[in-house]
Amino acid sequence: MKFQQSNGGHYSLRSGMTIYPSQDKLISETLTDLKQKLPAHLIVLVDVTGQVVSAQGDKNNIDLVSLGSLIAGDLAASQEIARLTGQYQDNQLVLREGQNFHTFIIEAGIHLALLVQVADSVPLGWGRMLTVKAAHRLAEIAEQQPEEVEKSKTAQETEAMLGEEALSDLFTDALDDLWME
Amino acid sequence: MFINWQLRELNLKVVYYGPALSGKTTNLEQIHQHTNPKQRGELVSLKTREDRTLYFDFLQLELGKISGLTPKIHLYTVPGQSYYEASRKLVLRGADGVVFVADSNKNRVHDNVESWENMKAHLISLNIPSDLPLIVQLNKRDLPNAIDVTELSQTLGVNGHPVFEAVAVQGKGVFNTLKAIINGVVRRVQREMA
Repeated sequence: MKFQQSNGGHYSLRSGMTIYPSQDKLISETLTDLKQKLPAHLIVLVDVTGQVVSAQGDKNNIDLVSLGSLIAGDLAASQEIARLTGQYQDNQLVLREGQNFHTFIIEAGIHLALLVQVADSVPLGWGRMLTVKAAHRLAEIAEQQPEEVEKSKTAQETEAMLGEEALSDLFTDALDDLWME
Repeated sequence: MFINWQLRELNLKVVYYGPALSGKTTNLEQIHQHTNPKQRGELVSLKTREDRTLYFDFLQLELGKISGLTPKIHLYTVPGQSYYEASRKLVLRGADGVVFVADSNKNRVHDNVESWENMKAHLISLNIPSDLPLIVQLNKRDLPNAIDVTELSQTLGVNGHPVFEAVAVQGKGVFNTLKAIINGVVRRVQREMA
């Protein structure tokens, strides 16, 4: 299969989201900065369907995959509650005050959701301010177009990876390997 | 769909949709039970005290490296009970493929049709493209009063979407359905990137 290049060699999705290496780097920097400044116990960035984009902090004993789906579900439910009660607005933030930790969940643009968990010693106003600021920055990063060099490199890789004629057969074989009777 | 080029990850979302008690959660339970634990996550279920799906069930499958990519498949179910309408729509958001699980019980034709129409309305309202891969699974084929396959397909108006028979509680037809939807999703990814 040959892919047709468009937009100067850039292969883009008509739906969903793509993160390029340059964006991944900026995302990591933003989350590291947020973690240090707050300081945060745990930070998880997911896309709105619940797929984990990046995570920092004390994540060793946490099932990040499950958490990702729950963050997305939680935010989606909160958005819908706001919509149904006529209070919907962009970049909505949900705060859960806990006994030992507080948890913020916030939209970061249309594609991403951010969970930030801080100890109860971190002032809520400080936590809120930095979380909102980081969410804005992450939304900007997600919207950024990569440099031409990176677009071109990704275009070649796309063709190599997704242009495989028998790709669906390879997936079927992988599923066969996964299945245990 | 979400692609992370840094990690070479291709993340895909498949939603199991259908009327209450048609076997959506059972499909995920069977997949969870029959897949290598090293290549799948835990089955997350948000249930009511009566063991009915409240929001969604979730399971992630990892297929290893394929053509330089690491695909991760996220499987979700919707709550089937009619009053969870809003939740169903939320779970459908961002779907790359849908499996419609119909109940073959002759007495549940109306529920199937209502759920099918409801799903189509949600897909339109979410601006999900009409070429979204969709597989129809006719579950509970072992029932003595199971409706004829052709009749149920025609009643739903499946219009060329692949149809699979299943007895999900026995694991029959579950894997074939999964393979078919993944196949459809992968082909669409290739079309979309073209």
